[in-house]
Amino acid sequence: MQTDSGQATYTYLDAISAALMSEMEADPDIFIIGEDVGQFGGAFKVTKGFLEKFGPRRLVDAPMAESGFTGLAAGAALAGLRPVVEYQFADFISAAFDQIINVLARHHYRTGNPMPVTLRAPFGARLRAGPTHSQSVESYFAHVPGLKIVAPGTAEDAAGLLISSIRDNNPVLFLESKYLYRRLRAPEPVPRDPIPLGTAKVVREGSQVSIITYGAYVTDCLAVAGELAAEGISAEVVDVRTLVPLDVETIMASVKKTSRAVVVHEAARRMGYGAEIAAVIAEECFWHLDQPVARIGARNTPTPTSPPLEDAVVPQPAQIAETVRRVATG
Amino acid sequence: MATTRAKQKAGSKADPVEGRDKGLLLRMFETMVLMRAVEDRMVSMYRAGDLLGSLYTGHWHEAVAVGTASALRQNDFLAPLHRDLGAHLWRGMDPAQIMASFMGKATSPTGGRDGTLHYGRLDLNVYNPPSHIPDNYPVATGAAFAFAYRSEDRVALAYCGDGSTSEGNFHEAVNIAAVMKLACIFIVENNQYAYSTPLRLQSATEGLAVKAQAYGIPGVSVDGADVLAVHDATVQAVARARAGEGPSLIECVTMRMHGHAEHDPADYVPRELIEEWQKRDPVALFENVLLEHGVIDAETATKIREAARQKAIDARKKALADPLPDAATVEQGVYAD
Repeated sequence: MQTDSGQATYTYLDAISAALMSEMEADPDIFIIGEDVGQFGGAFKVTKGFLEKFGPRRLVDAPMAESGFTGLAAGAALAGLRPVVEYQFADFISAAFDQIINVLARHHYRTGNPMPVTLRAPFGARLRAGPTHSQSVESYFAHVPGLKIVAPGTAEDAAGLLISSIRDNNPVLFLESKYLYRRLRAPEPVPRDPIPLGTAKVVREGSQVSIITYGAYVTDCLAVAGELAAEGISAEVVDVRTLVPLDVETIMASVKKTSRAVVVHEAARRMGYGAEIAAVIAEECFWHLDQPVARIGARNTPTPTSPPLEDAVVPQPAQIAETVRRVATG
Repeated sequence: MATTRAKQKAGSKADPVEGRDKGLLLRMFETMVLMRAVEDRMVSMYRAGDLLGSLYTGHWHEAVAVGTASALRQNDFLAPLHRDLGAHLWRGMDPAQIMASFMGKATSPTGGRDGTLHYGRLDLNVYNPPSHIPDNYPVATGAAFAFAYRSEDRVALAYCGDGSTSEGNFHEAVNIAAVMKLACIFIVENNQYAYSTPLRLQSATEGLAVKAQAYGIPGVSVDGADVLAVHDATVQAVARARAGEGPSLIECVTMRMHGHAEHDPADYVPRELIEEWQKRDPVALFENVLLEHGVIDAETATKIREAARQKAIDARKKALADPLPDAATVEQGVYAD
């Protein structure tokens, strides 16, 4: 995996698109519904060319009604289909909050009926898109029993985890990093093997400190770890990959090995998902720790548009490096 | 699109039962009587403290629940709300299971995980809605979408009340169904009050059927106390849906004769309004039609009422004796395998 390479042309977005395509080829019950997903190919072109291949029956351009088409997906799932819902931006998923929380997430517990709906939402900041086009929504939903939440940080994981999400019999919120869509590149198409939900991955081995992260910041944390290696600091990077269910074992194993942990994400720090990870570490690994757990997240402000403002809000590599250095050597 | 607010009163025709299936009429009457008997019994149970929370009843909604459900096939999708007990009964729901739901018993369709009116069973093609209404409206569009997707000759029918028409989910669902020409029938049970809020504070339109115009679909208003009028309007909407012509909206005008739920004395409702509607009991009106036109005799009517009363009594006994769920199972089923 590399970023911004002139040679590599296969992107994180291509991996998502390819995974969607192969699942739709394999299972005639899968359809995609959302705004502009058909002839336009989606706001980010994830479904470009899908309409020509699958037709309007399976590529459904919905009216601008997030709550309505989310509920439609729920009903279609109850009638035996396997819907994939695309929200143009994760920011707009708030318009479907009621259907997700009260209809999709609770249904299996209430009735025992499966609810196989995948909710795809491009999320996150660093595109100068401003307060209502840059949100990280994972914490709103992580509190809700019955939902699974996936946030891949690599092209390979994006493909493998999307396949598992679609095949899952539960509602799965699949958070795609729109920052990575075309920045993260692979030299060639990634494998399309399902990757089980609920499995974290150690993406760089190290011995002195564990950096626990997900989504767009996996790449940043790997870069920071590489930089710190030159200073003689050995940092391990754990990509959580799925927030719900959370792979506590892999996180615990890493922290017990390094005795130091820094949790990093782009979402606002207060009640960010890192708070849950830090709490799990405190509960499970307290006596293994040589330093308090550090949390890095965005400031508790909306995400501003202008570059100097946005850069001051979301975590920067230098800030991550400084914190990891402090925790690793303190 | 023709939208009419003229009340269709099939029951007031010279011979409203002419040409109708007598077996169907009898079953409709039996189901309405049973709905009333089960709800009356549950009111007693509520007062006796047998139920966990409040009790939502559908007095004066019997013609709506049964008139609509009886116009569908068993494999059609039904998305009822809290005043549609008769629609569940029509599908074959056991009254004891309904009572068990209000009591949090292990034998309720949700095993006590949900309660009160949340007892829909998918094996009867009946959706189990959440408390947020009309969240069932978009869900019904999804069932109709799946039927079209698989070229199945099935329709989806969803209920909501007058208050629900103010919600975004109402608008989004009806609009989606109209645009996609889905085989949906949207029933609006206009019972004059959404909890304590009267219709005039809910909508500036005269009646609710007119809203259909905004979606480019037919909308009719029918007398919600006249089961044959409700049935005929639904038959027409179902035929249209099956023919691929898209959704319809039917406003059924009736009155909520009890409070929002049994804890609510509804003293905000003018007494005269209740008294006026008291004369228009949908079950009694239908019984009179059947008696007048010789479908049943007085003795049969009495037998049907007595059989329903006995069923409700037996159901109560069973529900009371049913076990509560085992707390050890509480974490099971949050996720499907």
